Amino acid sequence: MNSLRIIRLIAGNTFLEAVRQKLFLFLVFIAAAFIVSSFYFRDLDFGFSELKFISDFGFGAIVFFGSILSIAGAAQLFFNEIENRTALTILAKPVRRIEFILGKFTGVWAVVLAFTAMMTLLLMAILWYREGILMGMERFARDFPEGRKVLYGDILWVGFLQWLKFGILISITMIVAGFARTNLFTVVISFFILIICHLQYLARDAWAEIAFWPARMGVAVMGFAFPNFQVFNVGEYVALYEPLPWSVIGSLVGLSAIYIIVYNLLAVVSFRSREI
Amino acid sequence: MNPFWKSLALVLVAAFLVGLLARPVEEPAWQWVREQEPALQLESLEDLLGQGIIVGVMGGFRSIFANLLWIRGSEYWKEQDLPGMQTMIRLVTAIDPRPSFFWMNGARITSLDMPHWRIREQGGRQNVPEVVQERIFEEQNLAGIEILHRAMVYHPNNPQYPLEIGLIKARRMDDLEGALKYYRKASEMPNAPAYAARVYAQLLRRLGRDQEAYEWLAGIYPTLDPDNIYDRAEVMLRRIRELEEDLNIPPEERIPELARDSARK
Repeated sequence: MNSLRIIRLIAGNTFLEAVRQKLFLFLVFIAAAFIVSSFYFRDLDFGFSELKFISDFGFGAIVFFGSILSIAGAAQLFFNEIENRTALTILAKPVRRIEFILGKFTGVWAVVLAFTAMMTLLLMAILWYREGILMGMERFARDFPEGRKVLYGDILWVGFLQWLKFGILISITMIVAGFARTNLFTVVISFFILIICHLQYLARDAWAEIAFWPARMGVAVMGFAFPNFQVFNVGEYVALYEPLPWSVIGSLVGLSAIYIIVYNLLAVVSFRSREI
Repeated sequence: MNPFWKSLALVLVAAFLVGLLARPVEEPAWQWVREQEPALQLESLEDLLGQGIIVGVMGGFRSIFANLLWIRGSEYWKEQDLPGMQTMIRLVTAIDPRPSFFWMNGARITSLDMPHWRIREQGGRQNVPEVVQERIFEEQNLAGIEILHRAMVYHPNNPQYPLEIGLIKARRMDDLEGALKYYRKASEMPNAPAYAARVYAQLLRRLGRDQEAYEWLAGIYPTLDPDNIYDRAEVMLRRIRELEEDLNIPPEERIPELARDSARK
């Protein structure tokens, strides 16, 4: 059996196992409920236009619940194989650890793709519906002199870029899972890493100004060793009708590809050190 | 070396190296994101930490959290609860620094309402010595200005904030020189309302600097659109004429009136 076929089989099984889990269905339901509820919360907004508020809220739900799904899904599906001893059976066959890791990663990433695609389309539908209503209202008509304002194509791009970010997060979770002994430990550490990745840019800004060299080195290591997730935070500007430049999309796609490939290889290294 | 530690060391070194190598790929996107979000260029570490965690963990939910907290804050305002309201203003603006609504109202509550709460708490206007009342007003005005200064870090191109500071300084602190600086700053911003330049000139006149006021208005007036009602070109021309009278400018040297589109046709 060639490697691609093995990876596809493991990914397919992982995907099926994941979508049958309550966690996936629960997160889909909650995230969808949040996105739909933005429609009813919009009167609570003091700062922005209604459509901006709805898209802000929708992207918030995608990022928040998508991160939970990426971390908890990856950790749970990885440890299911370990705890049920199925990993032993799989790895006893001519299946290499790299194929096992890549299969698991692809399966979880596919589940997250389904989640992200559903939520992005739901958000677009709600925005489309509400924008249509606002365009028909006399007092808002002058806000739409050239027809629809929401950049639906760019919203799709934002959804896609979030999915890439989730790919990096899944890879990180797989690295942690390779070293960890329990599912809970993996989930907790991965969430801490997620927060560090969002705060990483602070270390980058700070390191040049630190005079004490050991501290400076430490901060520099922090700044480089974790990916910068803040850079994926592009949804807020698209929601303000700011078109997403191609250079930004290209940069984020390239960045994600580098991290996903290298981190998956590192996940294999961490998994190799593990006794099953 | 134990394989576990060996692998861990390898992973950490590789993660560092990939971070280093990926930096040039990330740069175009990071530049763009930073340009869009002035909050990411803050100097204050405390605010940055709040921002980072909030943006990272709450994402788009920060709008709704901030809005709900502001509604809760209105209870503190109704109860004239000074510490509660101060905390709420700080919290809401840290959670979502993007809407002007929180900054402007936070600053106004701090400088306009809070002094009265403090005086009432200390026994009321009848019982608190005049000098103490003045000190309280001064402190609260400065606290309001501090909020607006923080807002300007997030919204460097919004003229609302320097205008508000100018208003506090001119009307409530009687600091015309201080107000002058902020009206000038606001009037030089791209989206500045036309009245910012007029108020700047009025303040110069109040300070007895008529020649300077005239030169300022003479420089601004030709840039106005007489057909745009928001520019109020006729008001500025009236002020210019007053100054020309006061400064005894000969008729042939006076600023000519701008022609309207309708007149040109």
